[in-house]
Amino acid sequence: MKILVCLKQVPHKDARLELAPDGKWIADANIKFEINDYDNYALEEALRVKDRDPATEVVVATIGPDRVQQSLRTALGMGADRAVQVWDDGLAGADSLAVAKTLAAVAKAEKCDLVLLGLMSDDANFALTGPILAELLGVPSATGIVSAKLDGGQVEVERELEGGALEVVKLPLPCLLTAQTGMNEVRYASLKGIMQAKKKPLDKKSLSDLGLSAAAVAAKTKIEKIYTPPKGAGAEILSGSKDEVAQKFVGKVKELGLL
Amino acid sequence: MAKTLIVAEIQKCQLREATLELVGMARKLGGDVASLVIGSGVGGIAEDLSKKGGGKVLVADDPSLANYNVDGWTRAIRKAVDAEKPELVLISNTPIGWDVAGRIAAQLDCGVASDVIRIEPEGGELVFVRRMFNAKFDARLRVAGTPRVATVQPGASEAYAGSDAGSVVKLDGVGGDARTKFVEIRTAPAGGHDLTKAEIIVSGGRGLQKPENFEAVLKPLVDALGAQMGASRPVVDAGWLPHEYQVGSSGQIVSPKLYVAVGISGAIQHLVGMKNSNFIIAINKDGDAPIFEVADVGIVGDLFEVVPALVTALKAAKGG
Repeated sequence: MKILVCLKQVPHKDARLELAPDGKWIADANIKFEINDYDNYALEEALRVKDRDPATEVVVATIGPDRVQQSLRTALGMGADRAVQVWDDGLAGADSLAVAKTLAAVAKAEKCDLVLLGLMSDDANFALTGPILAELLGVPSATGIVSAKLDGGQVEVERELEGGALEVVKLPLPCLLTAQTGMNEVRYASLKGIMQAKKKPLDKKSLSDLGLSAAAVAAKTKIEKIYTPPKGAGAEILSGSKDEVAQKFVGKVKELGLL
Repeated sequence: MAKTLIVAEIQKCQLREATLELVGMARKLGGDVASLVIGSGVGGIAEDLSKKGGGKVLVADDPSLANYNVDGWTRAIRKAVDAEKPELVLISNTPIGWDVAGRIAAQLDCGVASDVIRIEPEGGELVFVRRMFNAKFDARLRVAGTPRVATVQPGASEAYAGSDAGSVVKLDGVGGDARTKFVEIRTAPAGGHDLTKAEIIVSGGRGLQKPENFEAVLKPLVDALGAQMGASRPVVDAGWLPHEYQVGSSGQIVSPKLYVAVGISGAIQHLVGMKNSNFIIAINKDGDAPIFEVADVGIVGDLFEVVPALVTALKAAKGG
Protein backbone atom coordinates (compact mmCIF):
# COMPACT_ATOMS: atom_id res chain seq x y z
CA MET A 1 0.00 0.00 0.00
CA LYS A 2 1.31 3.40 -0.97
CA ILE A 3 -0.35 6.60 0.20
CA LEU A 4 0.34 10.11 -1.04
CA VAL A 5 -0.58 12.91 1.35
CA CYS A 6 -0.65 16.39 -0.18
CA LEU A 7 0.04 19.13 2.32
CA LYS A 8 -0.08 22.89 2.22
CA GLN A 9 1.92 25.18 4.43
CA VAL A 10 -0.28 28.05 5.64
CA PRO A 11 0.14 31.01 8.00
CA HIS A 12 0.07 29.97 11.65
CA LYS A 13 -3.38 30.22 13.29
CA ASP A 14 -2.17 32.94 15.64
CA ALA A 15 -0.15 34.89 13.06
CA ARG A 16 -1.18 38.53 12.69
CA LEU A 17 -2.04 38.86 9.04
CA GLU A 18 -1.38 42.07 7.13
CA LEU A 19 -1.92 42.80 3.47
CA ALA A 20 1.07 42.72 1.10
CA PRO A 21 1.88 46.08 -0.54
CA ASP A 22 0.57 44.85 -3.93
CA GLY A 23 -2.75 43.93 -2.30
CA LYS A 24 -2.82 40.52 -3.95
CA TRP A 25 -1.87 38.41 -0.94
CA ILE A 26 -0.83 38.77 2.66
CA ALA A 27 2.64 39.96 3.69
CA ASP A 28 4.24 36.61 4.39
CA ALA A 29 7.92 37.46 4.87
CA ASN A 30 7.89 37.68 8.66
CA ILE A 31 5.13 35.38 9.84
CA LYS A 32 5.14 31.87 11.25
CA PHE A 33 3.81 29.02 9.13
CA GLU A 34 2.44 25.59 9.93
CA ILE A 35 0.87 22.61 8.19
CA ASN A 36 -2.70 23.36 7.15
CA ASP A 37 -4.93 21.95 9.87
CA TYR A 38 -7.16 19.95 7.51
CA ASP A 39 -4.05 18.32 6.02
CA ASN A 40 -2.86 17.23 9.47
CA TYR A 41 -5.94 15.03 9.73
CA ALA A 42 -5.24 13.57 6.28
CA LEU A 43 -1.65 12.81 7.27
CA GLU A 44 -2.73 11.26 10.57
CA GLU A 45 -5.17 9.00 8.73
CA ALA A 46 -2.37 7.82 6.42
CA LEU A 47 -0.04 7.21 9.37
CA ARG A 48 -2.73 5.12 11.06
CA VAL A 49 -2.82 2.85 8.01
CA LYS A 50 0.95 2.53 8.33
CA ASP A 51 0.65 1.79 12.07
CA ARG A 52 -1.56 -1.20 11.24
CA ASP A 53 0.49 -2.31 8.24
CA PRO A 54 4.15 -1.22 8.51
CA ALA A 55 4.71 -2.20 4.86
CA THR A 56 2.69 0.90 3.92
CA GLU A 57 4.69 3.73 2.41
CA VAL A 58 3.53 7.27 3.16
CA VAL A 59 4.83 9.98 0.83
CA VAL A 60 4.12 13.64 1.59
CA ALA A 61 4.15 16.27 -1.15
CA THR A 62 3.77 20.01 -1.14
CA ILE A 63 4.19 22.99 -3.41
CA GLY A 64 6.05 26.02 -2.17
CA PRO A 65 9.36 27.83 -1.66
CA ASP A 66 12.03 26.44 0.64
CA ARG A 67 10.23 27.48 3.82
CA VAL A 68 7.84 24.57 3.21
CA GLN A 69 10.69 22.12 3.89
CA GLN A 70 10.15 22.76 7.58
CA SER A 71 6.56 21.49 7.30
CA LEU A 72 7.73 18.49 5.28
CA ARG A 73 10.28 17.69 8.00
CA THR A 74 7.50 17.91 10.57
CA ALA A 75 5.46 15.42 8.53
CA LEU A 76 8.49 13.13 8.25
CA GLY A 77 8.98 13.48 12.01
CA MET A 78 5.39 12.37 12.54
CA GLY A 79 6.14 9.21 10.57
CA ALA A 80 5.94 9.82 6.82
CA ASP A 81 8.63 7.98 4.82
CA ARG A 82 9.55 10.42 2.09
CA ALA A 83 8.83 13.98 1.07
CA VAL A 84 8.54 15.77 -2.25
CA GLN A 85 8.76 19.54 -2.57
CA VAL A 86 7.80 21.12 -5.86
CA TRP A 87 8.80 24.70 -6.52
CA ASP A 88 9.27 26.76 -9.60
CA ASP A 89 8.86 30.44 -10.42
CA GLY A 90 6.09 29.31 -12.78
CA LEU A 91 4.03 28.30 -9.74
CA ALA A 92 3.85 31.77 -8.20
CA GLY A 93 0.17 32.79 -8.23
CA ALA A 94 -0.92 29.20 -8.96
CA ASP A 95 -4.67 28.63 -8.74
CA SER A 96 -6.42 25.43 -7.64
CA LEU A 97 -6.24 24.02 -11.16
CA ALA A 98 -2.49 24.68 -11.44
CA VAL A 99 -1.82 23.20 -8.01
CA ALA A 100 -3.84 20.11 -8.87
CA LYS A 101 -2.08 19.70 -12.23
CA THR A 102 1.28 19.83 -10.47
CA LEU A 103 0.21 17.40 -7.76
CA ALA A 104 -1.26 15.11 -10.44
CA ALA A 105 2.18 14.87 -12.04
CA VAL A 106 3.65 13.93 -8.64
CA ALA A 107 0.90 11.39 -7.97
CA LYS A 108 1.24 9.77 -11.40
CA ALA A 109 4.98 9.34 -10.87
CA GLU A 110 4.40 7.85 -7.42
CA LYS A 111 1.62 5.42 -8.50
CA CYS A 112 -0.32 5.52 -5.23
CA ASP A 113 -3.23 3.42 -4.02
CA LEU A 114 -4.66 6.27 -2.01
CA VAL A 115 -4.31 10.06 -2.16
CA LEU A 116 -5.24 11.97 0.98
CA LEU A 117 -5.45 15.71 1.51
CA GLY A 118 -7.37 18.20 3.59
CA LEU A 119 -10.82 19.35 2.51
CA MET A 120 -9.56 22.92 2.13
CA SER A 121 -6.71 25.22 3.12
CA ASP A 122 -6.94 27.59 6.03
CA ASP A 123 -5.68 30.51 3.93
CA ALA A 124 -7.51 30.46 0.59
CA ASN A 125 -10.42 28.24 1.75
CA PHE A 126 -11.19 27.07 -1.81
CA ALA A 127 -11.76 23.33 -1.17
CA LEU A 128 -11.08 22.67 -4.87
CA THR A 129 -7.65 21.04 -5.14
CA GLY A 130 -8.83 17.57 -4.02
CA PRO A 131 -11.69 17.04 -6.48
CA ILE A 132 -9.73 18.58 -9.39
CA LEU A 133 -6.82 16.26 -8.61
CA ALA A 134 -9.16 13.24 -8.48
CA GLU A 135 -10.57 14.13 -11.89
CA LEU A 136 -7.10 14.60 -13.39
CA LEU A 137 -6.02 11.23 -11.99
CA GLY A 138 -9.22 9.55 -13.15
CA VAL A 139 -9.97 8.12 -9.71
CA PRO A 140 -13.12 8.21 -7.57
CA SER A 141 -13.24 10.62 -4.65
CA ALA A 142 -15.08 11.71 -1.54
CA THR A 143 -14.74 15.12 0.11
CA GLY A 144 -14.97 16.20 3.72
CA ILE A 145 -14.68 12.77 5.30
CA VAL A 146 -14.70 12.18 9.05
CA SER A 147 -13.86 8.46 9.00
CA ALA A 148 -12.29 5.94 6.62
CA LYS A 149 -12.31 2.17 6.95
CA LEU A 150 -9.99 0.34 4.55
CA ASP A 151 -11.13 -3.14 3.67
CA GLY A 152 -9.17 -4.95 0.98
CA GLY A 153 -9.47 -3.10 -2.27
CA GLN A 154 -12.04 -0.63 -1.06
CA VAL A 155 -12.64 2.03 1.54
CA GLU A 156 -15.85 2.97 3.34
CA VAL A 157 -15.99 6.60 4.42
CA GLU A 158 -18.36 8.89 6.27
CA ARG A 159 -18.76 12.32 4.64
CA GLU A 160 -19.91 15.18 6.77
CA LEU A 161 -23.10 16.79 5.51
CA GLU A 162 -24.87 19.75 7.05
CA GLY A 163 -26.64 19.68 10.42
CA GLY A 164 -24.58 16.82 11.81
CA ALA A 165 -25.73 14.21 9.24
CA LEU A 166 -23.24 11.82 7.68
CA GLU A 167 -23.28 10.21 4.25
CA VAL A 168 -21.69 6.76 4.10
CA VAL A 169 -20.14 5.82 0.74
CA LYS A 170 -17.85 3.05 -0.51
CA LEU A 171 -15.07 3.62 -3.02
CA PRO A 172 -12.70 1.22 -4.77
CA LEU A 173 -8.95 1.85 -4.60
CA PRO A 174 -7.17 3.72 -5.99
CA CYS A 175 -9.12 6.75 -4.86
CA LEU A 176 -8.77 10.22 -3.36
CA LEU A 177 -10.21 11.43 -0.07
CA THR A 178 -10.28 14.89 1.50
CA ALA A 179 -10.32 15.11 5.29
CA GLN A 180 -12.62 17.22 7.41
CA THR A 181 -11.15 18.58 10.66
CA GLY A 182 -11.76 16.51 13.78
CA MET A 183 -11.65 13.18 11.92
CA ASN A 184 -8.98 11.79 14.26
CA GLU A 185 -6.56 12.83 16.96
CA VAL A 186 -3.44 14.14 15.25
CA ARG A 187 -0.14 12.89 16.72
CA TYR A 188 2.86 15.06 17.49
CA ALA A 189 6.29 14.30 16.10
CA SER A 190 8.30 12.47 18.78
CA LEU A 191 11.87 13.48 19.56
CA LYS A 192 13.02 10.20 18.02
CA GLY A 193 10.84 10.90 15.00
CA ILE A 194 12.33 14.36 14.57
CA MET A 195 15.87 12.91 14.72
CA GLN A 196 14.97 10.25 12.13
CA ALA A 197 13.28 12.82 9.92
CA LYS A 198 16.59 14.52 9.24
CA LYS A 199 17.81 11.42 7.42
CA LYS A 200 14.64 10.75 5.44
CA PRO A 201 14.64 11.67 1.74
CA LEU A 202 13.26 15.09 0.73
CA ASP A 203 13.31 15.56 -3.03
CA LYS A 204 12.96 18.98 -4.56
CA LYS A 205 11.48 19.07 -8.04
CA SER A 206 10.89 21.76 -10.63
CA LEU A 207 8.05 21.85 -13.15
CA SER A 208 10.29 20.44 -15.88
CA ASP A 209 11.30 17.55 -13.58
CA LEU A 210 7.61 16.66 -13.62
CA GLY A 211 7.26 17.06 -17.37
CA LEU A 212 5.34 20.32 -16.92
CA SER A 213 5.95 23.92 -17.92
CA ALA A 214 4.87 27.31 -16.64
CA ALA A 215 2.47 27.53 -19.60
CA ALA A 216 0.91 24.17 -18.72
CA VAL A 217 0.08 25.39 -15.23
CA ALA A 218 -0.78 29.03 -16.00
CA ALA A 219 -3.46 30.26 -13.58
CA LYS A 220 -6.93 30.79 -15.03
CA THR A 221 -8.30 32.18 -11.78
CA LYS A 222 -6.36 35.19 -10.56
CA ILE A 223 -6.61 37.20 -7.39
CA GLU A 224 -7.08 40.81 -8.45
CA LYS A 225 -6.87 42.03 -4.87
CA ILE A 226 -7.61 41.10 -1.31
CA TYR A 227 -8.76 43.67 1.20
CA THR A 228 -10.26 44.08 4.64
CA PRO A 229 -14.02 43.68 4.20
CA PRO A 230 -15.98 46.91 4.59
CA LYS A 231 -17.45 47.03 8.06
CA GLY A 232 -21.19 46.92 8.40
CA ALA A 233 -22.96 48.67 11.24
CA GLY A 234 -21.37 46.02 13.42
CA ALA A 235 -21.86 45.56 17.12
CA GLU A 236 -22.37 48.26 19.71
CA ILE A 237 -19.09 47.93 21.60
CA LEU A 238 -19.47 48.29 25.37
CA SER A 239 -16.80 50.58 26.75
CA GLY A 240 -15.57 51.54 30.15
CA SER A 241 -13.86 49.77 33.02
CA LYS A 242 -14.28 46.03 33.48
CA ASP A 243 -17.03 46.60 36.04
CA GLU A 244 -18.80 49.27 33.99
CA VAL A 245 -18.82 46.91 31.03
CA ALA A 246 -20.22 44.17 33.25
CA GLN A 247 -23.00 46.49 34.47
CA LYS A 248 -23.90 47.40 30.87
CA PHE A 249 -23.96 43.69 30.01
CA VAL A 250 -26.37 43.03 32.90
CA GLY A 251 -28.49 45.95 31.65
CA LYS A 252 -28.74 44.37 28.19
CA VAL A 253 -29.78 41.01 29.64
CA LYS A 254 -32.42 42.79 31.74
CA GLU A 255 -33.74 44.70 28.70
CA LEU A 256 -34.23 41.35 27.02
CA GLY A 257 -36.31 40.24 29.98
CA LEU A 258 -33.95 37.39 30.67
CA LEU A 259 -32.90 38.32 34.19
CA MET B 1 -23.86 37.67 -19.88
CA ALA B 2 -24.83 35.15 -22.50
CA LYS B 3 -25.95 32.16 -20.49
CA THR B 4 -25.79 30.80 -16.97
CA LEU B 5 -26.37 27.17 -16.07
CA ILE B 6 -27.63 26.55 -12.54
CA VAL B 7 -27.13 23.20 -10.87
CA ALA B 8 -30.15 22.72 -8.61
CA GLU B 9 -30.15 20.85 -5.33
CA ILE B 10 -33.03 19.01 -3.77
CA GLN B 11 -33.47 18.87 -0.02
CA LYS B 12 -36.31 17.04 1.71
CA CYS B 13 -38.04 16.42 -1.63
CA GLN B 14 -38.10 20.08 -2.63
CA LEU B 15 -35.88 22.69 -4.20
CA ARG B 16 -33.26 23.91 -1.84
CA GLU B 17 -33.45 27.60 -0.95
CA ALA B 18 -29.80 27.91 -2.07
CA THR B 19 -30.90 26.92 -5.60
CA LEU B 20 -33.37 29.81 -5.74
CA GLU B 21 -30.53 32.05 -4.54
CA LEU B 22 -28.50 30.89 -7.56
CA VAL B 23 -31.48 31.82 -9.75
CA GLY B 24 -31.52 35.24 -8.10
CA MET B 25 -27.83 35.70 -8.80
CA ALA B 26 -28.10 34.53 -12.42
CA ARG B 27 -31.13 36.77 -13.09
CA LYS B 28 -29.28 39.77 -11.72
CA LEU B 29 -26.41 39.09 -14.12
CA GLY B 30 -28.89 39.02 -17.00
CA GLY B 31 -28.77 36.85 -20.08
CA ASP B 32 -30.29 33.41 -20.52
CA VAL B 33 -30.79 31.10 -17.59
CA ALA B 34 -30.84 27.33 -17.82
CA SER B 35 -31.01 24.92 -14.91
CA LEU B 36 -30.31 21.29 -14.20
CA VAL B 37 -32.27 19.10 -11.82
CA ILE B 38 -30.70 15.72 -11.00
CA GLY B 39 -32.37 12.74 -9.35
CA SER B 40 -34.90 9.98 -9.86
CA GLY B 41 -38.56 10.90 -10.31
CA VAL B 42 -37.79 14.61 -10.09
CA GLY B 43 -39.95 15.82 -12.99
CA GLY B 44 -42.24 17.67 -10.57
CA ILE B 45 -39.35 19.51 -9.01
CA ALA B 46 -38.09 20.49 -12.48
CA GLU B 47 -41.59 21.84 -13.28
CA ASP B 48 -41.49 23.79 -10.05
CA LEU B 49 -38.08 25.30 -10.87
CA SER B 50 -39.23 26.21 -14.38
CA LYS B 51 -41.93 28.37 -12.77
CA LYS B 52 -39.55 29.98 -10.31
CA GLY B 53 -37.10 31.56 -12.73
CA GLY B 54 -35.02 28.50 -13.59
CA GLY B 55 -35.57 29.16 -17.33
CA LYS B 56 -34.99 26.13 -19.49
CA VAL B 57 -34.81 23.33 -16.95
CA LEU B 58 -32.94 20.20 -17.96
CA VAL B 59 -33.86 17.07 -16.04
CA ALA B 60 -31.35 14.30 -15.48
CA ASP B 61 -33.84 11.71 -14.29
CA ASP B 62 -32.59 8.18 -13.82
CA PRO B 63 -32.96 5.43 -11.19
CA SER B 64 -29.16 5.43 -10.81
CA LEU B 65 -29.43 9.03 -9.58
CA ALA B 66 -31.91 8.26 -6.78
CA ASN B 67 -29.19 8.83 -4.20
CA TYR B 68 -26.51 11.43 -4.64
CA ASN B 69 -23.25 10.11 -6.06
CA VAL B 70 -20.34 12.17 -7.30
CA ASP B 71 -19.85 10.28 -10.58
CA GLY B 72 -23.50 10.43 -11.64
CA TRP B 73 -23.81 14.08 -10.73
CA THR B 74 -20.60 15.01 -12.53
CA ARG B 75 -21.73 13.14 -15.64
CA ALA B 76 -25.12 14.88 -15.63
CA ILE B 77 -23.61 18.34 -15.16
CA ARG B 78 -21.14 17.71 -17.98
CA LYS B 79 -23.99 16.64 -20.29
CA ALA B 80 -25.89 19.81 -19.44
CA VAL B 81 -22.81 21.96 -20.04
CA ASP B 82 -22.24 20.34 -23.43
CA ALA B 83 -25.90 20.81 -24.35
CA GLU B 84 -26.27 24.42 -23.20
CA LYS B 85 -22.74 25.78 -23.63
CA PRO B 86 -23.08 28.26 -20.76
CA GLU B 87 -20.53 30.94 -19.99
CA LEU B 88 -21.05 30.46 -16.28
CA VAL B 89 -21.95 27.38 -14.26
CA LEU B 90 -23.34 28.10 -10.80
CA ILE B 91 -23.34 25.43 -8.08
CA SER B 92 -24.12 25.88 -4.39
CA ASN B 93 -21.16 25.64 -2.01
CA THR B 94 -22.50 22.59 -0.17
CA PRO B 95 -21.14 19.07 0.38
CA ILE B 96 -22.36 18.28 -3.16
CA GLY B 97 -20.74 21.43 -4.52
CA TRP B 98 -17.43 20.47 -2.88
CA ASP B 99 -17.54 17.12 -4.67
CA VAL B 100 -18.51 18.18 -8.18
CA ALA B 101 -17.39 21.77 -8.90
CA GLY B 102 -13.69 20.97 -9.11
CA ARG B 103 -14.33 17.88 -11.20
CA ILE B 104 -16.35 19.84 -13.76
CA ALA B 105 -13.70 22.57 -13.91
CA ALA B 106 -10.99 19.93 -14.40
CA GLN B 107 -12.94 18.29 -17.24
CA LEU B 108 -13.46 21.62 -18.96
CA ASP B 109 -9.96 22.83 -18.02
CA CYS B 110 -11.54 26.12 -17.03
CA GLY B 111 -11.27 28.66 -14.24
CA VAL B 112 -13.19 28.04 -11.06
CA ALA B 113 -13.91 29.93 -7.85
CA SER B 114 -15.62 28.54 -4.78
CA ASP B 115 -17.69 29.95 -1.94
CA VAL B 116 -18.42 33.11 -3.90
CA ILE B 117 -20.66 35.68 -2.22
CA ARG B 118 -21.09 38.12 -5.12
CA ILE B 119 -20.51 38.24 -8.87
CA GLU B 120 -19.89 41.64 -10.46
CA PRO B 121 -19.84 42.15 -14.21
CA GLU B 122 -17.01 44.49 -15.15
CA GLY B 123 -16.00 45.45 -18.68
CA GLY B 124 -17.40 42.31 -20.25
CA GLU B 125 -15.72 40.14 -17.62
CA LEU B 126 -16.92 38.74 -14.34
CA VAL B 127 -15.37 39.46 -10.97
CA PHE B 128 -16.02 36.91 -8.24
CA VAL B 129 -16.01 38.20 -4.67
CA ARG B 130 -15.38 35.79 -1.83
CA ARG B 131 -13.96 35.60 1.66
CA MET B 132 -10.46 34.35 2.34
CA PHE B 133 -8.35 33.62 5.41
CA ASN B 134 -11.42 32.49 7.34
CA ALA B 135 -13.32 35.70 6.54
CA LYS B 136 -10.51 38.03 7.67
CA PHE B 137 -10.16 39.36 4.12
CA ASP B 138 -12.33 39.60 1.02
CA ALA B 139 -10.90 38.78 -2.38
CA ARG B 140 -11.79 39.84 -5.92
CA LEU B 141 -11.02 37.11 -8.43
CA ARG B 142 -10.88 37.29 -12.20
CA VAL B 143 -11.46 34.13 -14.13
CA ALA B 144 -10.11 34.00 -17.67
CA GLY B 145 -12.00 32.34 -20.50
CA THR B 146 -15.34 30.60 -20.63
CA PRO B 147 -17.02 28.67 -19.32
CA ARG B 148 -16.27 29.43 -15.70
CA VAL B 149 -17.47 27.47 -12.72
CA ALA B 150 -18.43 29.08 -9.42
CA THR B 151 -19.85 27.71 -6.21
CA VAL B 152 -21.92 30.19 -4.23
CA GLN B 153 -22.23 30.42 -0.48
CA PRO B 154 -25.77 29.53 0.63
CA GLY B 155 -27.46 32.58 2.11
CA ALA B 156 -25.13 35.03 0.36
CA SER B 157 -27.60 36.20 -2.27
CA GLU B 158 -31.32 36.76 -2.38
CA ALA B 159 -33.61 34.02 -3.59
CA TYR B 160 -35.45 34.82 -6.81
CA ALA B 161 -39.06 35.57 -5.95
CA GLY B 162 -40.52 35.98 -9.46
CA SER B 163 -42.69 33.45 -11.25
CA ASP B 164 -41.66 33.09 -14.87
CA ALA B 165 -42.81 30.41 -17.25
CA GLY B 166 -39.86 28.34 -18.38
CA SER B 167 -39.65 24.95 -19.98
CA VAL B 168 -38.63 21.45 -18.96
CA VAL B 169 -36.44 19.29 -21.19
CA LYS B 170 -35.33 15.75 -20.48
CA LEU B 171 -31.59 15.17 -20.64
CA ASP B 172 -30.72 11.78 -22.15
CA GLY B 173 -27.88 9.40 -21.43
CA VAL B 174 -27.44 10.39 -17.80
CA GLY B 175 -27.65 6.92 -16.22
CA GLY B 176 -24.72 4.63 -15.65
CA ASP B 177 -22.33 3.18 -13.16
CA ALA B 178 -20.89 5.09 -10.28
CA ARG B 179 -17.55 4.11 -8.77
CA THR B 180 -18.56 5.71 -5.48
CA LYS B 181 -21.44 3.73 -4.00
CA PHE B 182 -24.00 5.25 -1.68
CA VAL B 183 -24.48 3.20 1.49
CA GLU B 184 -26.67 5.28 3.80
CA ILE B 185 -27.28 8.62 5.51
CA ARG B 186 -26.63 8.60 9.25
CA THR B 187 -28.35 11.37 11.16
CA ALA B 188 -27.15 12.65 14.49
CA PRO B 189 -28.68 10.73 17.39
CA ALA B 190 -31.73 12.51 18.79
CA GLY B 191 -31.86 13.82 22.33
CA GLY B 192 -28.57 14.45 24.03
CA HIS B 193 -27.58 18.07 24.38
CA ASP B 194 -30.33 19.77 22.38
CA LEU B 195 -29.52 23.46 21.90
CA THR B 196 -32.26 24.17 19.38
CA LYS B 197 -34.84 24.91 22.08
CA ALA B 198 -32.55 26.78 24.48
CA GLU B 199 -33.57 30.35 25.46
CA ILE B 200 -30.02 31.38 26.23
CA ILE B 201 -26.81 29.84 24.91
CA VAL B 202 -23.29 30.68 26.02
CA SER B 203 -20.76 29.25 23.57
CA GLY B 204 -17.03 29.02 23.97
CA GLY B 205 -14.32 28.90 21.34
CA ARG B 206 -10.61 28.41 20.94
CA GLY B 207 -10.08 31.62 22.92
CA LEU B 208 -10.71 29.61 26.10
CA GLN B 209 -7.33 28.03 25.40
CA LYS B 210 -7.81 24.71 27.21
CA PRO B 211 -10.63 22.28 28.01
CA GLU B 212 -10.53 22.90 31.79
CA ASN B 213 -11.49 26.54 31.20
CA PHE B 214 -14.93 25.52 29.98
CA GLU B 215 -15.68 24.30 33.49
CA ALA B 216 -13.64 26.92 35.36
CA VAL B 217 -14.37 30.08 33.34
CA LEU B 218 -17.34 29.54 31.02
CA LYS B 219 -19.59 27.36 33.20
CA PRO B 220 -20.08 30.05 35.89
CA LEU B 221 -21.41 32.43 33.20
CA VAL B 222 -23.62 29.66 31.77
CA ASP B 223 -25.06 29.06 35.25
CA ALA B 224 -25.44 32.74 36.15
CA LEU B 225 -27.52 33.27 33.00
CA GLY B 226 -29.44 30.00 33.35
CA ALA B 227 -28.12 29.16 29.89
CA GLN B 228 -26.99 26.08 28.04
CA MET B 229 -23.40 25.65 26.92
CA GLY B 230 -22.41 25.53 23.26
CA ALA B 231 -19.09 25.44 21.45
CA SER B 232 -17.42 26.29 18.17
CA ARG B 233 -16.02 23.70 15.80
CA PRO B 234 -12.30 23.90 16.77
CA VAL B 235 -13.28 23.11 20.36
CA VAL B 236 -15.15 19.98 19.28
CA ASP B 237 -12.45 19.00 16.76
CA ALA B 238 -9.89 19.16 19.55
CA GLY B 239 -12.06 16.82 21.63
CA TRP B 240 -12.62 19.38 24.43
CA LEU B 241 -16.40 18.93 24.18
CA PRO B 242 -18.55 16.34 22.41
CA HIS B 243 -20.06 17.06 18.99
CA GLU B 244 -23.51 17.61 20.49
CA TYR B 245 -22.23 20.95 21.84
CA GLN B 246 -21.23 22.23 18.40
CA VAL B 247 -23.10 25.22 17.00
CA GLY B 248 -22.66 25.74 13.25
CA SER B 249 -23.46 24.43 9.81
CA SER B 250 -22.17 20.99 10.68
CA GLY B 251 -23.55 21.09 14.22
CA GLN B 252 -26.76 22.57 15.55
CA ILE B 253 -28.51 25.56 14.00
CA VAL B 254 -29.81 27.64 16.89
CA SER B 255 -31.92 30.76 17.39
CA PRO B 256 -32.14 31.51 21.13
CA LYS B 257 -33.33 34.77 22.66
CA LEU B 258 -29.74 35.48 23.70
CA TYR B 259 -26.53 34.04 22.29
CA VAL B 260 -23.26 34.87 24.02
CA ALA B 261 -20.13 34.01 22.03
CA VAL B 262 -17.01 33.84 24.17
CA GLY B 263 -13.59 33.59 22.53
CA ILE B 264 -15.12 32.74 19.16
CA SER B 265 -13.71 34.63 16.18
CA GLY B 266 -16.69 33.84 13.96
CA ALA B 267 -15.77 31.45 11.16
CA ILE B 268 -18.53 31.33 8.56
CA GLN B 269 -19.53 27.82 9.48
CA HIS B 270 -20.19 29.00 13.06
CA LEU B 271 -22.04 32.17 12.00
CA VAL B 272 -24.40 30.10 9.86
CA GLY B 273 -25.43 28.24 12.99
CA MET B 274 -26.19 31.21 15.25
CA LYS B 275 -26.74 34.39 13.24
CA ASN B 276 -30.52 34.05 13.51
CA SER B 277 -30.40 34.36 17.29
CA ASN B 278 -32.65 37.15 18.59
CA PHE B 279 -29.77 38.95 20.33
CA ILE B 280 -26.05 38.26 20.12
CA ILE B 281 -23.33 39.39 22.52
CA ALA B 282 -19.73 38.65 21.56
CA ILE B 283 -16.67 38.73 23.78
CA ASN B 284 -13.32 38.60 21.99
CA LYS B 285 -9.89 40.13 22.37
CA ASP B 286 -9.62 40.89 18.63
CA GLY B 287 -11.83 43.86 17.82
CA ASP B 288 -11.60 42.96 14.11
CA ALA B 289 -12.99 39.44 14.63
CA PRO B 290 -15.85 38.70 12.19
CA ILE B 291 -18.13 37.74 15.11
CA PHE B 292 -18.58 41.47 15.86
CA GLU B 293 -20.17 41.92 12.43
CA VAL B 294 -23.14 39.73 13.38
CA ALA B 295 -23.23 40.64 17.09
CA ASP B 296 -25.64 43.25 18.49
CA VAL B 297 -23.33 44.02 21.37
CA GLY B 298 -19.60 43.44 21.64
CA ILE B 299 -17.06 43.42 24.42
CA VAL B 300 -13.49 43.75 23.20
CA GLY B 301 -11.21 42.41 25.89
CA ASP B 302 -9.52 39.50 27.60
CA LEU B 303 -12.26 36.97 28.29
CA PHE B 304 -10.40 35.73 31.37
CA GLU B 305 -10.96 39.16 32.93
CA VAL B 306 -14.31 40.00 31.33
CA VAL B 307 -16.20 36.78 32.02
CA PRO B 308 -15.59 36.63 35.81
CA ALA B 309 -16.66 40.30 36.03
CA LEU B 310 -19.89 39.47 34.19
CA VAL B 311 -20.54 36.56 36.56
CA THR B 312 -20.03 38.81 39.60
CA ALA B 313 -22.32 41.50 38.18
CA LEU B 314 -25.02 38.97 37.24
CA LYS B 315 -24.94 37.43 40.71
CA ALA B 316 -25.16 40.87 42.33
CA ALA B 317 -28.09 41.83 40.08
CA LYS B 318 -29.96 38.66 40.94
CA GLY B 319 -29.19 39.00 44.66
CA GLY B 320 -30.35 42.63 44.72
